Amino acid sequence: MSTVLTVDHLDKSFGSKQVLHGVDFFVEEGHVAGLVGPNGAGKSTIMKAILGLIPVNGGGVEITGQKVSITSHQALRKVGALIEYPGIYPFLTGQQHLELFADKHNKAANIKEIVDALGMGTYINRKAKLYSLGMKQKLGIAQALVNQPKLVILDEPMNGLDPQAVKDLRDIIRKMAANGTSFLISSHILSELEKVADDVLILNHGHIVRETGMAELAHDGGVTYEITTGNLDQAKAALATANVAFTQNGMNLVIKDNEEVGTLNQALYALVQHGVAITAVDQKTRDLEASFLDMVQKDKKEA
Amino acid sequence: MGTLIKQEFYKLFHKTGTWIAIGIMVGLQIAFAIIRMANPDLFTLGDLVTSDFMGGGLVIFLAVAATASIVAQEFQFGTMKQLLYRKYYRSQVFVSKVITMVLYLVFLQVIATAVTVVLSVTTGKYDWLKVVGKHANWETYSISVIGFFLVSLLLLSVVLLLSTLLKSNAAAVATGIVGYFLMYIASGILIALIAKWEFVKWSPFTFLMVGSQLSSESVSKVTQLSTPVMVIGSLAYTALFTVIAYLSFRKRSV
Repeated sequence: MSTVLTVDHLDKSFGSKQVLHGVDFFVEEGHVAGLVGPNGAGKSTIMKAILGLIPVNGGGVEITGQKVSITSHQALRKVGALIEYPGIYPFLTGQQHLELFADKHNKAANIKEIVDALGMGTYINRKAKLYSLGMKQKLGIAQALVNQPKLVILDEPMNGLDPQAVKDLRDIIRKMAANGTSFLISSHILSELEKVADDVLILNHGHIVRETGMAELAHDGGVTYEITTGNLDQAKAALATANVAFTQNGMNLVIKDNEEVGTLNQALYALVQHGVAITAVDQKTRDLEASFLDMVQKDKKEA
Repeated sequence: MGTLIKQEFYKLFHKTGTWIAIGIMVGLQIAFAIIRMANPDLFTLGDLVTSDFMGGGLVIFLAVAATASIVAQEFQFGTMKQLLYRKYYRSQVFVSKVITMVLYLVFLQVIATAVTVVLSVTTGKYDWLKVVGKHANWETYSISVIGFFLVSLLLLSVVLLLSTLLKSNAAAVATGIVGYFLMYIASGILIALIAKWEFVKWSPFTFLMVGSQLSSESVSKVTQLSTPVMVIGSLAYTALFTVIAYLSFRKRSV
């Protein structure tokens, strides 16, 4: 698998304020990378630097091995993007927007495919000045994807989209990624990003504080199990007798898994031995939101 | 570059206002031809032909409006990012807009000229081949069109510069049109000052007289510059304002 995007020690200042500090990451072919961070962390600045829209103070960007800067745009030939908000000409229809920006090759077919995939067929021939926020957002996404790019940069793509549109977008991203397109997506809707991203980059105060796979992030701090029983007091006594550490969450007992000693097995064995009815066992992994909040909090303390 | 120019024309010709304005220009030309037919003493046919049946004034208005909005609209609609994050550079985007405006000016003048030719032979019996003074009528007309073109380019370069400084499309168009009138007023005042301070003749306002001087050599007594110097000077100022406009455009953040 080859690397499509490399961001190498990127520094950026606006006046005396440094907003990016040696930002370093890469995105592999066919991978979806989620970029998360609090407001003002530098997400949009990174995306603008990748697209050669702003000069940087240090470091560099490469797309498929070619350098990108404010004076070097050749590598952007196969890149699609939606940054901050969709730019819309109010006097053009949605169809005309796509015709304006679509490459000649397979133009009609590519436009039809993305219009159908995003469910824009009913209003694509209306003037864009009549579009709602969500319709404009879809048009911005369609413009980014219409040329079947190798790399797609999407800044808050779920803004203003209804649940069906969010699902449609997720399906499109997964399908394109399966065909080799790489994505860098920032979003505040972490639950949605979690469903689509393979890798996650957590950014805070212009630093990447964590770069990891989504699966690894979910297992940060181990897995816990919530056990629901027919008799809470009897269950607590059984676990105490068997020396199994637990906490309580409402009417459930929470066991932190430790594969070396098989904590879950020990707990279940103790409950069965003491005749406690087990009605449910629920595996809990940490979600992106919890990990994100922990990272930001930890970074704040360290700072 | 060809793709960028095509895209600029695509946007320009998909604005309803572009076609309405052209319709108004042609309508005005036809209206003046009818007025002259009804009142032949009101205008001479020669004067109407020289002014493109009053359509010439509208050509510059339409070009000023289009030039003012060609850059400002991209910032107002948030579309500048889409133009710049592709394989093209800022310089290419800017040059494509300049070329589009020059071609649009030519397009408008071609329409105005075509309508003028048709109206001059259908509503009157204008003899384009007749020699009046040194030149045939068609030569006099051509010289006035060339002069008009040089003045228009100089004006449009200033309007382009203003439009790179403004964020709103409407403000850029209004500034362009108001600037057009102010420049002519300032030009009149400065021309009067040339007699007193000769160096004033090198101000850009003097070169707005290039069209008049091409049509009538006697204007050189006012401008105190020869006609070739006026032509070269107007082109040099056009280039200078265009370069300043580019530098301003390059510095705009997106």
